[in-house]
Amino acid sequence: MITRLLQIAATTLWLLVALSYQTTIAAPANASTSELRQHINALATGKIKDKPRRIEALAQLGSNKAIAALNALIEGRLYSDKASTQVFMKHGDHFVDPLSLTAVNTTSKLKKVKANNKVRRIARAAIARLTLKSPNSEQRLQAVEVMFKAADHKLLPLIDEALEFEKEQEVKQKLLEIRAAITLQNKHASKEAQLEAIGQLRQMGSQQALGKLQAFINNSGASAAALKAADLAIKAIEKSQAIWGVFQNIWYGLSLGSVLLLAAIGLAITFGVMGIINMAHGEMVMLGAYTTFVVQEVIRTSFPGLFEYSLLIALPLAFLVAGAVGFAMERSIIRFLYGRPLETLLATWGVSLVLQQAIRSIFGPTNKEVGNPEWMSGAFELGGLMLTYNRLWILAFSLIVFAGILLVLNRSHFGLQMRAVTQNRRMAASMGIKTPWVDAFTFALGSGIAGIAGVALSQIANVSPNLGQSYIIDSFMVVVFGGVGNLWGTLVGAMSLGVANKFLEPYAGAVLAKILTLVVIILFIQKKPRGLFAQKGRAVEA
Amino acid sequence: MSKFLENTPLLYLDGVSVAFDGFKAINNLSLVVEHGEMRAIIGPNGAGKTTMMDIITGKTRPDHGTVLFEGQDLTLHDEAQIANMGIGRKFQKPTVFENHSIYDNLLLALKGSRNVFQALFSTQSTEQKQRIDEILAVIRLENRRDTLAADLSHGQKQWLEIGMLLAQDPKLLLVDEPVAGMTDAETVETAKLLREISKTRSVVVVEHDMSFIRDLDVKVTCLAEGAVLSEGSLNHVSSDPKVIESYLGR
Amino acid sequence: MISQALFTRFSLGARVLIISLCVVAILVPAANLLLPPEHFAHVPSHLLPLWGKYLCYAMLALALDLVWGYCGILSLGHGAFFALGGYACGMYLMRQIGPRGVYADPVLPDFMVFLNWQELPWFWQGFDQFWFAMLMVVAVPGLLAFVFGWFAFRSRVTGVYLSIITQALTYALLLAFFRNDMGFGGNNGLTDFKDILGFSLQADTTRASLFAASALLLALVFVVCQFIVSSKLGKLMQAVNHAESRVRFTGYRVEHIKLFAFVVSAMIAGIAGALYVPQVGIINPGEFAPANSIEVVIWTAVGGRGTLLGPIIGALLVNGGKSYFTAAFPEVWLFALGALFVAVTLFLPHGLMGLFKQICTRFNKRSATAAKVTPLMKPEAAE
Repeated sequence: MITRLLQIAATTLWLLVALSYQTTIAAPANASTSELRQHINALATGKIKDKPRRIEALAQLGSNKAIAALNALIEGRLYSDKASTQVFMKHGDHFVDPLSLTAVNTTSKLKKVKANNKVRRIARAAIARLTLKSPNSEQRLQAVEVMFKAADHKLLPLIDEALEFEKEQEVKQKLLEIRAAITLQNKHASKEAQLEAIGQLRQMGSQQALGKLQAFINNSGASAAALKAADLAIKAIEKSQAIWGVFQNIWYGLSLGSVLLLAAIGLAITFGVMGIINMAHGEMVMLGAYTTFVVQEVIRTSFPGLFEYSLLIALPLAFLVAGAVGFAMERSIIRFLYGRPLETLLATWGVSLVLQQAIRSIFGPTNKEVGNPEWMSGAFELGGLMLTYNRLWILAFSLIVFAGILLVLNRSHFGLQMRAVTQNRRMAASMGIKTPWVDAFTFALGSGIAGIAGVALSQIANVSPNLGQSYIIDSFMVVVFGGVGNLWGTLVGAMSLGVANKFLEPYAGAVLAKILTLVVIILFIQKKPRGLFAQKGRAVEA
Repeated sequence: MSKFLENTPLLYLDGVSVAFDGFKAINNLSLVVEHGEMRAIIGPNGAGKTTMMDIITGKTRPDHGTVLFEGQDLTLHDEAQIANMGIGRKFQKPTVFENHSIYDNLLLALKGSRNVFQALFSTQSTEQKQRIDEILAVIRLENRRDTLAADLSHGQKQWLEIGMLLAQDPKLLLVDEPVAGMTDAETVETAKLLREISKTRSVVVVEHDMSFIRDLDVKVTCLAEGAVLSEGSLNHVSSDPKVIESYLGR
Repeated sequence: MISQALFTRFSLGARVLIISLCVVAILVPAANLLLPPEHFAHVPSHLLPLWGKYLCYAMLALALDLVWGYCGILSLGHGAFFALGGYACGMYLMRQIGPRGVYADPVLPDFMVFLNWQELPWFWQGFDQFWFAMLMVVAVPGLLAFVFGWFAFRSRVTGVYLSIITQALTYALLLAFFRNDMGFGGNNGLTDFKDILGFSLQADTTRASLFAASALLLALVFVVCQFIVSSKLGKLMQAVNHAESRVRFTGYRVEHIKLFAFVVSAMIAGIAGALYVPQVGIINPGEFAPANSIEVVIWTAVGGRGTLLGPIIGALLVNGGKSYFTAAFPEVWLFALGALFVAVTLFLPHGLMGLFKQICTRFNKRSATAAKVTPLMKPEAAE
């Protein structure tokens, strides 16, 4: 877990460095290029236990131009030419010069520069120290994060130096925290310094701070007061983490709920309002996802600049594609089966098989890659919460779609006709409403919504011909649980099922949690066959 | 025992109320039906006639009030138990087993064990066959015994349903709009049939058709907005100003 | 004498079916074992398990028809009962492997050794006994159907709601059986069986016997179903299908009638699953997939629900077609199956049996011979 995070941090760091290379190159570089090259070439020489020393020496030069080479060393992309003792970085299938980053043609045999975990750790810390001098505060912050994990007391002078110059409050805070972590590791630090450090770590409240505090308790013969303070700090951090854990679970639950809501909302119209069991509903979602894929393909080949807008372009198209398929289905099959729900179920299942196989024949059976635009990727922290942008967008999107549907149903002319037809078909017909068309368009609307749900789901799920199958049972459960014919019920149903599922997961595991939720719903339906928000009334003759 | 039964009314409803989503379908309704009595119930649409039948037969649970049948609390039992206690019900829309022959319809309804396993191994006795023949005669369908119920006319279905109720041999028969959709001749016949039936058991008839009610010539209860508006002979009820106001019209 | 009494209940078609199943049970194994391979009527050994599989599917379709065609309960989870029966049989076959497994543990099946389990879980006890396993083949699906049905029918869950929760049931079981912790071999299921009752499963004689057993048991189940549907209870089941409230107001407990049909049907499905596993040689969680259960529905619908012959004919035809298509044009099979779903619901609501009857009545009318022909089936009102 930690190593994975480190990897992510290192990669992000490298990406950032690489991206802003043009700007960082202008940063103060005291060391001459030849001196740098000499030190970089030295990385390839000597035994592995000499390497930390050589890295330190390179880092001492304080040039951020060394970062690329160090990174290559960490990732095993650094090669040396035995004959010329020159060092190159492998980049894809060719080699580049570590300083100029220009491609070089070497014909001689290259040998990979070896590194072990210790070497990598030191190289990472070195990168962090070099990045600490970057003019970009984002980069400095990330450098600090990496240094925090290393927490080497040799870094102390560097940190103090950085603290003097640091203006950015956030980075400064982080630096103080690192200082605290290093102080705690130092057995000879004064009691006051230790207490202050504990206080700072407590304020930090992260998993890492917890680790440092625990390490402090475990291996130092510190004073009783310091130990007690550390113990209290641990308890406080654990408590706040537990609280944040609940929020995190709620977030995960809402996130799952939003996915369920998106998948179920179209069904709430076709099943809830019209009473049609559409087993091909999942395939409408799948069509939406494949529309996104096609849109991105076209953009990739013809209009690469539009990639950031690919989802926005896909939304109306997915709505139209799924809606058109739904319309065709209603006109050609479903309208002959009104009043025979079980037959509708079978016929639409047949349609779902045909749609799946059609997609499989056209696009192949394997998963398709649908890219995330920039604004959908990444994550940010909110207190102790880790929120990813794509999940946040999907939650927001599901609520927007929900609100849109409510508006259409309750405020538009079409919605009025639709409600009229569902309440009293014959009366509506005699008022001049073309009920067959209202049926067809209502079904198309439900299908279209499923299509745009597919656009959103393409961002977090595998886009394959089986995409729809994995959502169909869940969607039905949501609609039935929430109460058929009640959109608010669908919202509450989706969110509560999502949250319940995520709260069960830590105790039961993901699969068992899902099974438990299914069992609970089965029992629930038997207790309240009409769902959470059932409409009461003189029961219809069964 | 029989003395006690004669003193207790067959059906006793007191202060019964039920509401659906705030709408009071039945509001403080009280009704007494004696042994061997035939009662006609009239009232405008939405007066609560069908809901009252739902309550008596256990389909709907009342929110308040007492519902007694021969002194037993009906609200504690479900439809099947109540049917076995001796209450038969005819629906507004004729409900028979359309995919069975008329004979089988009556056979299934015939009084006897309702146990699933006995039904699996049951054979027909001569008495049962005789009883079915009798009922076929009463409902005037003797020569169509092997016809599928689905192939009957609307009026014949109504009669078949009444025949099935007779086969159940109930003490109380609830009949919901038996002559709806019938020809005049059929209506007259049905009135005759019901009067015949009421010789041996109590009958409650819900009907809109005033000439039919007149043919029945029994005590009438008029419901409106879930409560009893007026009760007495047809002449008494139809001259009641409240009834004229809310139901019959001026 | 009883058999004679039973026989009078059977229509012509039913008698033909029973006799032909018995004949097939003798002739096909004989054609496999006794005739030399070059003989034109020789049945190759690889066809026996395939045909045996079709007969198991036919039994499963018959089970579904008992609840759907007669009682109006559309179960989309009958594959679950089939799979449970299959697992019960598979557990017996696993125990029969004994020390011949890869890890050569005398008691524990290979996958348990692989998972580092020290001893047999309690629910695997007793499955080394054939009679016990066969008891479980009907008891486990029956019990599940009883518990599930008791809850569902008592609270009057009907129609599509019931269909959806039966589907959720089999889906939940699918997820559960995928877990290694369940103790049923997880993803891989149970396989690598060696022998049954001491006879090698690879031997032609065993395969032939299993085929004969499938045919005879199918005939037996058919007779039992015929007995049920022509009894008063069977009439009640059909009455529930068309006018549930009338049955209830007549004083019958609808939930008991449905529960009876559901449990019997689940047990038949379990038997079908138990016959299926030794013939195909594997049982895995995939059998619980909701799609499988829905496919059973189409077999029944193609043949004609509400008749006992229909589902058997439908299962044999559709599965025969599936084998042909998946070999000849694998791409086309799902299109064909999907189209079949649509076409049958739109144009053949009573399946092939309904079509057959329609042709018969038209023929009878035209040939104006007043000869009274016993109808093969009773017409069904559209749902």
